[in-house]
Amino acid sequence: MKSRIMYLAAFILLMAALSSCEKELNPKEPGMLVPKTVELDASLPSITVNGTQLHSQAFGDPADPMVVFLHGGPGGDYANALNVKSLVTSHYYVVFYDQRGSGLSKRHPKNSFSLQVMLDDLTALIQHYRSSASQKVFLFGHSWGGMLATAYVNKYPAAINGVIVAEPGGLTKATLDEYSKNSRRLKLFDEVSNDALYPDQLLSGKENDHAILDYKLALQLPYTYARNNDEGIEGPSPFWRMGAASLKKFVEISDNEGFDFTTNLHQYTTKVLFLYSENNKAYGQAFANKEAAFFPNPQVSRVNGTGHEMIYFKWDNVAALALPYLNSLR
Amino acid sequence: MKYYKYNLLTAIIILLFKFSFAQNINWKTLQPSQRHIVNLNVGFDNATTVGIGYGYHFNTKMPLVVNVEYSMPMGNIIFDDFKTKIGGQLDLLRINSFHTSAKAYGIIRRFQNDMTRMVNFGSEFSATAGIYKDKWFAAGEIGFDKAITTHIKHSDLMKEYNPSVQSGWYIPTGGNLLYGLQGGYSFSRYDVYAKVGRTLSQDFKTQSMIPYYFQVGWNMKW
Repeated sequence: MKSRIMYLAAFILLMAALSSCEKELNPKEPGMLVPKTVELDASLPSITVNGTQLHSQAFGDPADPMVVFLHGGPGGDYANALNVKSLVTSHYYVVFYDQRGSGLSKRHPKNSFSLQVMLDDLTALIQHYRSSASQKVFLFGHSWGGMLATAYVNKYPAAINGVIVAEPGGLTKATLDEYSKNSRRLKLFDEVSNDALYPDQLLSGKENDHAILDYKLALQLPYTYARNNDEGIEGPSPFWRMGAASLKKFVEISDNEGFDFTTNLHQYTTKVLFLYSENNKAYGQAFANKEAAFFPNPQVSRVNGTGHEMIYFKWDNVAALALPYLNSLR
Repeated sequence: MKYYKYNLLTAIIILLFKFSFAQNINWKTLQPSQRHIVNLNVGFDNATTVGIGYGYHFNTKMPLVVNVEYSMPMGNIIFDDFKTKIGGQLDLLRINSFHTSAKAYGIIRRFQNDMTRMVNFGSEFSATAGIYKDKWFAAGEIGFDKAITTHIKHSDLMKEYNPSVQSGWYIPTGGNLLYGLQGGYSFSRYDVYAKVGRTLSQDFKTQSMIPYYFQVGWNMKW
């Protein structure tokens, strides 16, 4: 009898629990854990190119020399790079976009990502914004964005009139592995390392459950700016939405196929501004020189008083190096 | 809504105590007179963790141990992240030295960092089968850890960057398959054991950042 009462009590409570599920939130639904992307929110600025819809904005006079900013990641966005917009006052037409599958741009299945697709997106974006064939185009890439900018001029050296790269992670598989080893070490007894791993048991998503996976990736951001982090990152910086599928695919490509964005760089003889930061212990002058040496004509410059997120935290110091470089080529 | 989590938790606890079936025990050396089992463990379970557990041995026809476990990841903030399990394990089938046992747990876990605070109610069911001798045991295990529902409260920082995100109860929030091996050595009233295995997400494709688990532990029985 006692046993039956306990079963009954458990059954009633389970039913009560299930009946109250109507107010539960669906983690897969965009707009719950993460913001909606451009195809679901018409109020966001976007362009439709190369079979995708990219969250994108342009500032300044469309006839001025164009500076296309390439954000980090893969899987980041340009929310923390809006300082670059100030180049408008120096008469540059500044174009931002969230790369395919990142930020507020449209999501795609993980296996649809490839380097060539990302390069084609960039070609299409430049075509979309370019106002004349004589308009000069500069690329400004931060971290992964610097790698992508390098990959672009490696493939299309005649298409770009100048490149600024700010601490590109690695221009070859070997240098990326070297930088990763120095910058993103998991420490097994450390709070932030364990915080980066622990949510895996509370929240898991399938390969293309973008909302869940993007949110989980955002939960790892505090790891990047933990106290005494190797990259000298001062603290959190804004973001809209991470792109987990994009990141995962490019990590897989790097791990399985390797990459080398330098095979044709000898053809890009234009001067390249190569920035590294004073406080990024994982990068440093020696590694910057090693990476910059892949370019035929590099100008290696140090951004003082900051770390890897130099564009957000010390834009004035970055601009003091970037503007003279751009002006010398305009 | 606010009663939902309490109802669910209470239901899980009642069911677990009824069916109860949990800890890595050498069934062969567990004596009818030994009612209490204390466990200390360290390992990797989605983070480097330390844990403590207590089990009560019911002297029933089919040996049953009901237990409570608490574990937390290492780090300088002590109680922001943890996992508690309440449940038990039942020695279902014995053929000479071969034992098959079933485990069922209700799980409450918490995680907090600069971006979020999550409290999850989940369950873990697993089966273990292997050889249990007077001095040692070796077994394989397979199980499923289901994150049934999770209350997610976005931090002020997250809401500053993304004002549209919604805090509340999210369901379903995932699950992970686990499989591996365990073995131990028994002496006097103690067991020392180790277990190691893999985790795989419920779609059998995606996996955790570090898709392995590992634990070494120590039991004292009296």
